[in-house]
Amino acid sequence: MIVKIDNDKCIGCKKCYNICPMDVFTWNTETKKPKVTYEEECWMCGCCWMDCPKRAIDIKYPASLY
Amino acid sequence: MSLEEFTKNIIETDLLVIGGGTAGCPLAAKAAEQGLSVLMVEKSNTERSGNIAHGIDGYGVFPHGISIQELIPMWSERMTKRNQGAGRNVDENIDYMIFKNEWWAVEELERMGIPMKWDDGDYYWTPHMIHGKGLKLGLRVHWHDVKPKMARMCAERGVKTLNRVMIIDILTHNGAVSGATAFNTRTGEFILIKARAIAMATGMYCRLFDPETPLIWKYKMRYHYNPATCSGDGWAAAYRAGAGLAHMDDASWALRIRDDITNSYGNFVNNDGILAKQYYWNGKPASPYHANTYVGNREAEGLGLTPIYQSLENLPDDFQKRLEVNFLDERMVSLKLAADRGFNPRSHRYEMMSYKPLQMMMVQGISVDEHFQSRHLKGLFAVGDCAAGVGGAYGACTSGLIVGAEIDKYISGAAEPVLNEEKINESYERAYAPTKVKDGTEPMEMESAVRFICERYIGSFKSEGKLLEGIRRFNSLKREFLPELMAPNPHYQMRALEVKNIMELAELHLHGCLNRKETRGNYVRLDYPEVDNSRIDRLTINRIENGVPIAEKFLVPALKPEYVEALKQL
Repeated sequence: MIVKIDNDKCIGCKKCYNICPMDVFTWNTETKKPKVTYEEECWMCGCCWMDCPKRAIDIKYPASLY
Repeated sequence: MSLEEFTKNIIETDLLVIGGGTAGCPLAAKAAEQGLSVLMVEKSNTERSGNIAHGIDGYGVFPHGISIQELIPMWSERMTKRNQGAGRNVDENIDYMIFKNEWWAVEELERMGIPMKWDDGDYYWTPHMIHGKGLKLGLRVHWHDVKPKMARMCAERGVKTLNRVMIIDILTHNGAVSGATAFNTRTGEFILIKARAIAMATGMYCRLFDPETPLIWKYKMRYHYNPATCSGDGWAAAYRAGAGLAHMDDASWALRIRDDITNSYGNFVNNDGILAKQYYWNGKPASPYHANTYVGNREAEGLGLTPIYQSLENLPDDFQKRLEVNFLDERMVSLKLAADRGFNPRSHRYEMMSYKPLQMMMVQGISVDEHFQSRHLKGLFAVGDCAAGVGGAYGACTSGLIVGAEIDKYISGAAEPVLNEEKINESYERAYAPTKVKDGTEPMEMESAVRFICERYIGSFKSEGKLLEGIRRFNSLKREFLPELMAPNPHYQMRALEVKNIMELAELHLHGCLNRKETRGNYVRLDYPEVDNSRIDRLTINRIENGVPIAEKFLVPALKPEYVEALKQL
């Protein structure tokens, strides 16, 4: 998993869902939290990681990049 | 569907800006200031989109400490002789227009709320790649959060922005643009736009060769100059509408870094005569020139001298600190990713993937004159990386602002736009056919197949046999799998259309390489090792004329006499 969202820290501000250049996130209307749906399209630009106001997102290299 | 049904969802505007990145935002903001109604459509979100979504450290080359007269030939020689033949700078008149207006563009950006100076209130200059001794031509900017500022700049000026909207086709009437078709990549809604002029700012075409990972398609790694969103949508749409694309028979390359921290090729500070990068072969320092040379890498691989490393370890401490600021401005997450793996960027030797250079489409684009108007399609303007001969943030912002300031002149004389029903249906079919396919081929699988064919059969070292085999495979892939391309939701509908655009341009590249029988600069045909003299000062333009695709050799224009005269007056 490249992108992980810490749901305890996430306040549901939609920032990551709004800005992701590759539109990797979708919005879960029930939990009011973002969901990492198209994770294989993530190019690790770090925008969500940078802009998250609660530092609730972590980006890590997947095994395939080792 | 009939035109009436389509036109329920029609938007009318004076100017349509396609792509809200480094060039599109300044263009839209400036045009809105002229009192035009401006609609900007962006496949992502203008707050974080395009090549500088996550920031950039260098604005680019500037006539700083040197006259424009001296800079133009210096810049063009670097591109034409060392690199690409008649290369990225396809027209010195474009260079003239950009260099002449760069200071004006900087003032305009500052006025519109884009900071160019550093915290101490001064500009920060660094040597650029083309620097001569002691020349600092590069303007170093603190631009990690410039995109949100650019989005605000547009909103404040009344630019109407549609985020998550992807363009399908440009519509034309009587040889001039009249609008465009588009769809929302989240809702799937079809959108019809009527416009008097179109400015294309969709960046370059990046997804032609293998991505930078051991796996073919999953987990693309971000690479410099190669934002993953740029799939050549603007080029393909412009080509289909009759605009010419320059240089589709060429490709640029750079070395990949195995464990990403930054790029190996680019606007890296190289201050005060200190090498910003040191390359190592077999544990021994090698000259950067040699390590960065294509053939050199191949030799090194054959001689057992690889891996080649890139290292910053011998640089002084203050220099290292400055590099860290570069990383933070360019792509903040890179330092975090390095830390996760236990790499200290100051001492870690990053492996270069010398056997497999990163290929990209950097010199190509929509063929434009020095007013950034398409040479073939009236009413179409192209700016930034989307246009051939314009590059970097400096080229994108400056060309965008020039067009934004001048385009009202074109628009006031443009005819009332008329939409063509047949073309709209054709366009709708292009984007919506994959939504009706069940159990077909996923867009990413298709894309990986195309990219593998291009990497393997066009590759770095070309030959007729390989190219013919590539074309054969490409054709059978297209015949058997393109009709089966599947898009179960609007997100994949976007990816499916991207793949179609990628394939359209890949085909031009394959055939262009087959017909280009020479070796020059980075373009290597093993079966034709000599320079083709008939191509000197010429570039290939691909376009569709009366429904027939043609490729013509175009004479690169010399600097116009009036500009030569104007330079003398400066």
